[in-house]
Amino acid sequence: MAKTEVPYRFSALRLKNWKNFQSVEVELPSRVFLVGPNASGKSNLLDVFRFLRDLVAPGGGFQAAVERRQGVKALRCLAARKDPNIEISVRVLPTDGSATPSWEYTLAFNQDSHRRPRIHQELVLKDGQAQLQRPTEEDRRDPDRLSQTHIEQVTMNQPFRELAKFFESVHYLHLVPQLVREPDRVSGRPRDPYGSDFLEQVASTSEKRRTARLKRILSALQVAVPQLSAIELWRDVKGAPHLRGRYEHWRAQGAWQTEEQFSDGTLRLMGLLWAVLDGTGPLLLEEPELSLHPEVVRYIPAMFARVQSRKRRQILISTHSPEMLHDEGIGLNEVLLLTPTPEGTSVRPLASVHEASALLSGGSTVGDIAMAHTRPDKARQLALIEP
Amino acid sequence: MNTVEVWVNIAVEGKTDEAVACRLIRHVGALPGKVYVADGKENLRKRVPGYNQAAKGQPWLVLVDLDRCSCAVALLQKWVPQPSPYLCMRVAVRMVEAWLLADATNIADFLGVPVSRVPSAPEQLSDPKQEIVALAAQSRRRAIREDMVPNTGIGQRVGTAYTARLIEFIENHWDITQAASHAPSLQRSINCLTRVIQRHRFTLSGTPFSAEASL
Repeated sequence: MAKTEVPYRFSALRLKNWKNFQSVEVELPSRVFLVGPNASGKSNLLDVFRFLRDLVAPGGGFQAAVERRQGVKALRCLAARKDPNIEISVRVLPTDGSATPSWEYTLAFNQDSHRRPRIHQELVLKDGQAQLQRPTEEDRRDPDRLSQTHIEQVTMNQPFRELAKFFESVHYLHLVPQLVREPDRVSGRPRDPYGSDFLEQVASTSEKRRTARLKRILSALQVAVPQLSAIELWRDVKGAPHLRGRYEHWRAQGAWQTEEQFSDGTLRLMGLLWAVLDGTGPLLLEEPELSLHPEVVRYIPAMFARVQSRKRRQILISTHSPEMLHDEGIGLNEVLLLTPTPEGTSVRPLASVHEASALLSGGSTVGDIAMAHTRPDKARQLALIEP
Repeated sequence: MNTVEVWVNIAVEGKTDEAVACRLIRHVGALPGKVYVADGKENLRKRVPGYNQAAKGQPWLVLVDLDRCSCAVALLQKWVPQPSPYLCMRVAVRMVEAWLLADATNIADFLGVPVSRVPSAPEQLSDPKQEIVALAAQSRRRAIREDMVPNTGIGQRVGTAYTARLIEFIENHWDITQAASHAPSLQRSINCLTRVIQRHRFTLSGTPFSAEASL
């Protein structure tokens, strides 16, 4: 896993014409909850950060990152007029709260007449000073150079390698318990966002570190599964790694269960907690509440905070769950509201909702407000479907 | 448009009440804003101080069922001792189902029963929901019986599609003026909502800047 000298986080995001966002400009605290109706583009927003990772990841690069998303045309916002550039801009700050070093990265691109992705602008600022400003004179002489970013090239990114390393440290997870149980269904993708390599990852961690992490995970998990008394890694006769947990039963010895027998919810929670502990870069989580009891979902934010203790990596979570947002420790600035409009989806913090602070002071939770602003207007249409 | 558009936020206990609140707001010439569904009376009660606080700046309709409480006035006094100028907090006597029964002609037609079977003083009923279910059970229309009447012995209070059917009625068939003449608490709610909206409209047009912004 890529590590940077100083752990960083994204502190602001600006987008133009990215997928269903025509124009976005938001601050990003170190914990972000994305809420919005179905198909409002929560995953598309997270995809910006995956795109930045794809730029610099091994086997990645600008061309591959665009290719993987079916080309410039598929990436550009439908609400965009004519064929404007797609523009991504992020601000990056250290996670410890200090103001330096600060970074800014901007990438604007489009496609040429042969539908090949072409960079129109690439900009890197460190503490406000330009480290890179493209197109350069050389780019103008040799336009083919605009098919690659400088941040993806080791020979070019030396002055801002730290930023490239940070982008590489972004981790996306949308754990599918079935794939954890049957990794053979996908042929061993390393860093698989759906978790097929989860057991392998656990197994390849040094024993000391693994034991320590599993212990932390166990104590957090006991909130949800109180009868769970131990978890450990073991290998079957073929050497394949498995997780197993011991449950307190009426039998004195308890009984071991492997991941095949864990419930979807338990297994998913284990994977999420492991991911929170594994690495320092921003973690993108897609609907961590799936398969979990609402009362357990309520504790997810606290669980994440507990297992992390000292090191606070940035976590961006997409969610549909009011329970997740009932935690009183969640601030209005930590919730980003996605609202579809004919001009593309708008993104704004819940703090910008007029009545929000009045409601919070009078008994409502952040979750109540988020749900009132994201529930489909036409929910009652369900009642009118002709049989 | 020459009148100022007024949006009214809504706080209710459940889906049926939401549909009623939206109709009421449109009935008095305003537009339904954001809907806060509290899922149950106790949850709603906890959040009322916040709605009241928010109603200092914009109109709110908070709709609650009286259920088994004895007196609407006492309930209002207890929940919001000092209501904000734009708060319209209303209590449906027993429950909003009584307001639906108050439009006897249309509800009878919708449920497929003779109008004579619909009780003439719905606010006197102790359980209007059960009354609607009882009427549905006598329906000429099989679909109504199947959707709205609970199966016996499995703990259902109402049929599987009871709420969906009621919402269909509220949205498409319910005559509010007719209903208000037989349900005094509905008439009082309309009056209150009208006052709040007028007050807000007046403030908006009295303040040139914000009036222009919402014209």
